[in-house]
Amino acid sequence: MDQATLADLIDGKLPWHQLKEVLSGNKDIARFDLYIEVLQSRVSFKETILLPLGEHLYVVVDASGRRIVKCDCGYEFGPVERNWKCASAVLVRDSDELLEEIYDPWNRCDPSWEELREFYCPGCWSLLEVEAAPPGYPVMFDFQPDIDTFYQEYLGRPVPRS
Amino acid sequence: MPQHTGTPVILALDAGGTMTDAFVVDDTGSFTIGKAQTTPHDESLGVVESFRDALHYWDVTAEQAGPHLRAVVYSGTSMLNRLLERTSDERIGVIVTAGMEDYLQLERSVQTYAGYAYSDRLHVVTHIHNEPLVPRARIKGVRGRVSFFGEEVLPLYADEAKEAVNSLLDQSVTAIVVSLLYSYRDPSHEQEVAKIAAEVMASRGVDIPVIVSSTSTPVRGDLARLNTLLVEVYAARPSRRQLQAVGERLHSELDSTAAVRVLTSYGGTVSPDHESLVSTLVSGPIGGILGARRLAELYETSNVICSDVGGTSFDVGLISERQVATRTEPTVARFLLAIPTIAMDSIGAGTGTRVRVDPAVRRVTLGPDSAGSRLGMSWEPGGESVPSITDCDLVLGYLNPDYFLGGSVDLDPDRARKAILEQLAKPLGSSNVEETALGVVRLLETEMRDHLMGMILGMGYAPENYQMFAYGGGGPLHAAGYVGSLEFQAVRVPSWAAAFSAFGCACADYTYRYDRSVDILVPPAGSREQVLGLLRQTWSELEQRILADAARDGIDPKEVNIVPSVRMQYFGMLDDLEVQVSSQSGDAEQVIAQMMVDFDSLFEKIFARAAKSPESGYFLTKAIAVGTYPTEKPVIPEFVLGSKTPSSSAEKSSRKVFEGSWREARIYEMDELTSGNVIAGPAVVEAPATTFYVPTGYQATLDRFRVFELTRS
Ligand SMILES: [Zn+2]
Repeated sequence: MDQATLADLIDGKLPWHQLKEVLSGNKDIARFDLYIEVLQSRVSFKETILLPLGEHLYVVVDASGRRIVKCDCGYEFGPVERNWKCASAVLVRDSDELLEEIYDPWNRCDPSWEELREFYCPGCWSLLEVEAAPPGYPVMFDFQPDIDTFYQEYLGRPVPRS
Repeated sequence: MPQHTGTPVILALDAGGTMTDAFVVDDTGSFTIGKAQTTPHDESLGVVESFRDALHYWDVTAEQAGPHLRAVVYSGTSMLNRLLERTSDERIGVIVTAGMEDYLQLERSVQTYAGYAYSDRLHVVTHIHNEPLVPRARIKGVRGRVSFFGEEVLPLYADEAKEAVNSLLDQSVTAIVVSLLYSYRDPSHEQEVAKIAAEVMASRGVDIPVIVSSTSTPVRGDLARLNTLLVEVYAARPSRRQLQAVGERLHSELDSTAAVRVLTSYGGTVSPDHESLVSTLVSGPIGGILGARRLAELYETSNVICSDVGGTSFDVGLISERQVATRTEPTVARFLLAIPTIAMDSIGAGTGTRVRVDPAVRRVTLGPDSAGSRLGMSWEPGGESVPSITDCDLVLGYLNPDYFLGGSVDLDPDRARKAILEQLAKPLGSSNVEETALGVVRLLETEMRDHLMGMILGMGYAPENYQMFAYGGGGPLHAAGYVGSLEFQAVRVPSWAAAFSAFGCACADYTYRYDRSVDILVPPAGSREQVLGLLRQTWSELEQRILADAARDGIDPKEVNIVPSVRMQYFGMLDDLEVQVSSQSGDAEQVIAQMMVDFDSLFEKIFARAAKSPESGYFLTKAIAVGTYPTEKPVIPEFVLGSKTPSSSAEKSSRKVFEGSWREARIYEMDELTSGNVIAGPAVVEAPATTFYVPTGYQATLDRFRVFELTRS
């Protein structure tokens, strides 16, 4: 896949027949690097992207070799080993009133059973993630990527150090 | 070529999107094949050109041949293309039972992955809805309800029907399709809507067709029923004029008096005037089965497995006890349709299948896409960038680069070799092109064999009871490979394999088939009078339609052989099977009892004896009547068996073929072989349209019908 096609794929602009080809086709090894290249060209920061972590979020390696979570606006959430959500701005929808801002009354959940937690970037106020959880349930840690194994065993090369 | 002496009598046409093939048979059974460009604006032009092209090989003009034609059979893809490309000019309006207006948006899930490779069927992210044939704004709901038992639960709201018709006419529709729930049980609501539509149209001075499901497709299964009506109006009927024009041009220009008939998916032909043309939408692989049925008569065998290797697919069909299984709800172009269709199972594996190596797991993947008419990388003008099976066959020496399609297409083995090395061998960690190509071909043939086995064993049959016919352009090349260790009674490869489908089309009779849902419960015990009464009433209704069709097509009704049948299942099961009613003599008890016996034995073969469950009774889902009128068929000439040793003129040369190691194979010209000749492998028999590969350890005997029998030596 070439860079232009990949960029269209990321932007959701690929026509269906091409998208279907990508979905059904084999994954070429080079695609990850190409993907990172496109992502890197679109962010405002200079640090090397190691892995995309979700919409707007990346694991990057900074000048001192630390792996940190960063928003595409440049805001830093801290080391990848920590849950980035703890460094975000949170809106908890836990009342009828807050839920009905986005749902019809007959379609919303019962806030005594379930609440919605919206995590925003304090740098650019992009919505990064939404959780639906029972009140009192700890903030969920989505996943901890094993970056070393991924680079060494799947990509077959060491993790960039800067 | 010897002087041609026969008189051309049959013309079978296959009009594809780009080329129209003409298959002309004379009264001695010789045939010739012509090609011309398809002329979509007036298909009759391409047809006549193709006919001329075929005849020129015999040094006969179309004007000379025209008056002698006794049969013209057409099959084509224009309807299907109109559907696939959504190019119809029809603006259809639809009236359905209120609450059901979202049929085309909701679909049934099977339509969102129909036609996909198995891997993608499981890969839900690739499933996608179809572009509806009718936009939501032109689908109107009308209240009223008939129950499953045919009782009126809610009367029809006539004012809503009137409003719906007016609204559709305001939107300038060109036809109105009416399909209400359970209308096949009680058509009165649909008839009422049709009557209201007629009144509204009369008052507005409009006259457009109103198609009512209870008349044209009175079967259960409302999405398939609605789809069938829509596809009929959207894609099939616009071709009627074109089909009629074919006959008119053959008559006016060439003085032919033969009626043009169109091949249907249930394996017969109908006239272009036939009311329901949707049954002619897909007839592609059907021809081969009809040809196999004809050949099976000659070999006096009742069980045949038909395998057709084309450029893009491997199609398999079964003839069991001389019967071809029929399915009643196939998916065509991603639409469930209520049209009876000869059961064939296809996989995307053909000679054009593209071969790749999955870089992540370093595994060879075949297709499912295909280079099709672009052949592969060995044909530079095709512009392919991925090697195909044809490329592999070429580097293995099975194909002759200078004699592909009779030498009209130049293949470049070096390009094939380079592509296989770079794209397949190297990623697999090998530098051996031939080993890699052989591995790919064996993988393909294994997939084909698995497919064959699945089909036979899945139906509860054993290969030992079947003869295998291999045809299609690639059948003779791969037959030995995909048959492998399967013990068929015989493996037969017709010398006219490449034209076998066209030959089969030319064998098709006039066949009128009508299905109707009846949903009759036959309890384990009790009187059968009423059951048979209902069946007979339905059969006679269907028979009247058949006789009317025959009369329209100028056929003496007395000459039409009408066979009644039913589709039935054990009460509570989901799948029904088709059972011919062999005899109607005796009282109702006897007739129904015989139907049950026939069903039980069919069920046993297809499913399992242990799964039989007659204790809750039987359920008759459909009554069917099929009327057949025999037509002129190609003669299959019989030759005297001569010498086992081919004449010296038949053996052209020799060439190295790779079968794990290089071997010297004798090369024969197929046309020069005569009945009785035995070819010992390794050998390659070449003809302009096909190549027959006889590997080491096999031999092929050309029999009296010019069909090769492939055996292990
Ligand atoms: Zn941000």
